[in-house]
Amino acid sequence: MSSTILPIASRRETVRVAWTLLRERRLPLTIATVAFAASGFLGLVPPWVLGDLVDTVGDGGTAADVVRAASIIAAAALAGALCAGLAVAALGQAVVPALARLREEVVARVLGLEPDRIEEAGAGDVLSRVGDDVRTVTNTLDEAVPYTVESSVAIGFTAVGLAALDWRLGLAGLCALPFYVLGLRWYLPRSAPLYREERIAQGERAEALLTGVHSAQTLRALGYGEAWQEQVAVRSWRAATVSITVFRMLTRFFARTNRAELVGLLLVLGTGFVLVRDGAATVGAATTAALFFHRLFGPIGGVLTTFDQVQSAGASLARLAGLALMPEADGAEPDDPASARSAARADQTGLALDVAGIHHRYRDGDEVLHDVTLRVAAGERVALVGATGAGKSTLALVAAGHLVPSAGARTLDGAAYDEWGARGVRSQVALVTQQVHVFAGTVRDNLTLAAEDADDEALHDALRRTRSSGWVAALPDGLDTVVGAHGHTLTPAQAQQLALARILLADRPVVVLDEATAEAGSSGARQLDEAATEILQGRTALVVAHRLTQAVRADRIVVLDRGAIVEEGTHDELLARDGQYARLWASWSQS
Amino acid sequence: MAEAPVAPPLTEWSLLRRTLRRHRGRLTGSYALLSLWHVCEALVPVAIGIIIDTAIAPGDLSAFVVGAVGLSVLMGVLSYSYRFGARLGFEAVQREQHALRLEITEHVLHPRGARTGLLPGELLSVATSDTDAVTYVVRQLGFTLSALASVVGAAAYLLWLDVWLGVLVLVGVPTVVALTQVISPVIARRSSAEQAAVARAAGMATDLVQGVRPLAGVGAERIAVSRYRDASGRAATAAVRTVRGWGVLAGTTSGLSGLLLAAVALVAGLRALDGDLTLGQFVAVAGLTQFLAEPVGMLAEIGAHAATSRASAARVGAVLRTPRLVPDGDATPTGPLSVSFEGVVTGPLTGLDLIADPGQLVAVVVDDPGSSDTLVALLSGEAVPEGGEARIGGVPLHSLSVEARREALLVANHHVDLFEGSVRFNVDPTAAAPDDRLGAALDASAASEVVHSHPDGLDRRVRVSGALSGGQRQRLALARALTADRPVLVLQDPTSAVDSVTEEVIAAGLRGLRHGEGSSATTLVITSSPSVLQQADRVFLVLDGKTVADGTHAELLGRADYDEAVLR
Repeated sequence: MSSTILPIASRRETVRVAWTLLRERRLPLTIATVAFAASGFLGLVPPWVLGDLVDTVGDGGTAADVVRAASIIAAAALAGALCAGLAVAALGQAVVPALARLREEVVARVLGLEPDRIEEAGAGDVLSRVGDDVRTVTNTLDEAVPYTVESSVAIGFTAVGLAALDWRLGLAGLCALPFYVLGLRWYLPRSAPLYREERIAQGERAEALLTGVHSAQTLRALGYGEAWQEQVAVRSWRAATVSITVFRMLTRFFARTNRAELVGLLLVLGTGFVLVRDGAATVGAATTAALFFHRLFGPIGGVLTTFDQVQSAGASLARLAGLALMPEADGAEPDDPASARSAARADQTGLALDVAGIHHRYRDGDEVLHDVTLRVAAGERVALVGATGAGKSTLALVAAGHLVPSAGARTLDGAAYDEWGARGVRSQVALVTQQVHVFAGTVRDNLTLAAEDADDEALHDALRRTRSSGWVAALPDGLDTVVGAHGHTLTPAQAQQLALARILLADRPVVVLDEATAEAGSSGARQLDEAATEILQGRTALVVAHRLTQAVRADRIVVLDRGAIVEEGTHDELLARDGQYARLWASWSQS
Repeated sequence: MAEAPVAPPLTEWSLLRRTLRRHRGRLTGSYALLSLWHVCEALVPVAIGIIIDTAIAPGDLSAFVVGAVGLSVLMGVLSYSYRFGARLGFEAVQREQHALRLEITEHVLHPRGARTGLLPGELLSVATSDTDAVTYVVRQLGFTLSALASVVGAAAYLLWLDVWLGVLVLVGVPTVVALTQVISPVIARRSSAEQAAVARAAGMATDLVQGVRPLAGVGAERIAVSRYRDASGRAATAAVRTVRGWGVLAGTTSGLSGLLLAAVALVAGLRALDGDLTLGQFVAVAGLTQFLAEPVGMLAEIGAHAATSRASAARVGAVLRTPRLVPDGDATPTGPLSVSFEGVVTGPLTGLDLIADPGQLVAVVVDDPGSSDTLVALLSGEAVPEGGEARIGGVPLHSLSVEARREALLVANHHVDLFEGSVRFNVDPTAAAPDDRLGAALDASAASEVVHSHPDGLDRRVRVSGALSGGQRQRLALARALTADRPVLVLQDPTSAVDSVTEEVIAAGLRGLRHGEGSSATTLVITSSPSVLQQADRVFLVLDGKTVADGTHAELLGRADYDEAVLR
């Protein structure tokens, strides 16, 4: 069961994915590494020189010494600034395109998934990965990641500098480390469950908000708006309190880092005191050491404050890598035998489609198809009718190669579906479902999804044949009108007409239509009927017929009842049998 | 939220001002404590200088002990002032975000609705990301003020030590901040271009995933992916530009701070040589100047944060400003609850007449979706007739008070909304109906099958999308409308997704449940289903927005225009 939930990559896998993507961008990555190192090193110059200056001044140096020291600091500052800027820019150059590649891989994998798998895992999970997770990682790349790297480099160099200055002073500084570690060991195990709780609370809040916003009209009509508002208030406040608790924990952790800072600073100063008193070190060295250590406060605090952000970006990255690592959908590439087969068959009118002994059971549900056997001959048009819940849509998905049945055999043009591969089957069989979706973009974008290179003439032809020329021409910018989210709203019937036009442009020998006309009112439905008739011309077709007018036009009608075929024949034959179809027809055509 | 219920703030500035006002206690405390913290941070290098000067250089142990105790006290104050200052600020921000979120949902879920003109996704993003972003500046302001306090404190100390050093810092820091402000707007511009490109790419990914079935249906995945690659590539290019901007800003800030440090070292070194500064004071000056880079960076950032928050505040304000869908009425029906339209002209409607008296099941056949939606909008009070009269119980539909409307009428439009939760919750969210009423409604809407086909029955979990078929969802929504049991019920295309046999069952169920012997319920169904039309007491035919005929289904059959509209 767990295999159906979408994977999250382990830490090692995530690193591997990240490295694979970064490897291709060696040059900027190298520049970034060198520049970060150089700027880290140059950052040590000012405290070093200042410490020296303390000794120079104490030993009666000259103005020239001071000027020289100031010049060195200035030169180091300018060179360091150049390196710091270069490092940040080069890191971006390396990392940003790598992330872009990753999100593209993820979207490619997701779109290659079986739609059922997406729905089973919860479209929300997939959507939050391609949306929120990508955003989370992208946003950290701008500021947090360079800052973290910069701070880490500064910490490393300062530690080394401190040790190089005088090993005893370095050791004193190092004694602060256990206190930082103790702080982290106090914080991490306490914060992890709180962060989880926070994420869950925010998820519940988002769900309540989404329902409130999406279903506002229904909630108001039912008089349930205020009650739902109460629900939103409870969950929103809960999320806020959890966040506040998390933050309190964070500030207590900061208090512990302050303690570590104090201990370290006192140890460095104390060691300096002893060394200077014993003549083992100069006042200048003690000064440099103290300034070095004080200089660590900022970067360490910085790493700790961005720690959360970087950690959550890491979690997002693991979720993205999990998708990117999924095996690619099986299937035939263009040069596979299956495709060669399709090329050979391209001149034929449709292909024969056979399903035999099909059983299907959805997860956690009863069996919805029982031993269904159905043959659609090449060029034949078969209508599937029956009451709602009879299993028509499931059978349509199975036949179109979009759902693997629990048991049974499927062949297309005499070859098993396995032999064709999922892509091979889909390169021959087009499917239109009840789910209408207008893609955000122009009408042209919506159509050319099915045929990239279609010219205006082909598009207009497809629109004309699906009875859509009229309303498309009436749109403000015709074919180039933006529709879908943020654009012009289309009626369900218009959306379905576009879907049918896509089928024409995709030009597959076999077409499966699942209640493609259900959403339209009766006048719109008649136009959709005509469009459907048009696109089925010269193809093998399996049509789930909600409107029985579709059935009348079919070569053969198959009646499905509670998952099994109960009647089969032409319209007239079935009427004569006076069975289920005859009853359906009677209530359909009553007047 | 205890403040006086004044009109909602209209501009982004008043919204931000209100944020400061309504959390003034917490924010004042937070800002004061954070300033204390930051001044203490500035004092740490000064303390180091003093310890070196008085204890380490002369080798004075008791002075060292005093210094160490002093440093510990300083760090203690620093630590606690940050802890509580940051908490107070964070709490204020969380409370404000919560309040804003509730204001938005309250506005949208108000019994009279809100005409936001936004898609649900856009509204959701205003209610989450924008409410968060509005408050960024409030929190950042605490750090800006504290940074300012520490800079002023440092300058005062330096001024006290040496006028020239003080002047150098007082001139130098504003200069550095000012120079970085030249770059900030460029980053802000690039960053907003990047955000837009990233949002477009993310929006596209969401859109493609939502349409994955239609995509797979025509094998369009490859083309879709290549389109997404284009969008993602553009977002990456924009992001690289932003990061370059950050690089320039980082370089400039650190370079200028370094130059300032060099200048201070020069002046302080010369002064120390002259004996005007002690060694410890020199160390303090150097440490302080090194420390100043941090508050300078904070001061440089406030501009960008303010711009982000302002933009979000503008979006939040725009939503809160949107007018109500339904006018504010105070009328209650004066007579029996009949619904009557006389010569109503609104949008596509050019002369709609219809009447539904108590006890009647009335059907309306409308030839175009636009007219049907307008009729629904008029019935729910969301549209006001431009001409003619639309009444319920003798008073204009749009003048009903919220309570009177809720008592009298339920308008269930064609769009089905299901909620996360059980079937029972979906059918009867207010848990007001007795079980037998619930059962009767489920039977009448042929939705019992959804319940009985699952082992969990009424407790079967419903997901917002997926799992249930279109027909099952539609029947649950109908069951919900029937369970509410209002005197007047309006249904728009309630059977469009079910088969003809089920349609007949529903039509009969509707009749049986609401229009039994002696019933005074009024039901108005917009439909072209012959099964429902046959059950109706009266049918109105609306063509091109105008009522052209009425009668029973049987009487109307045979009219060419009626047959055209209802026969299939």
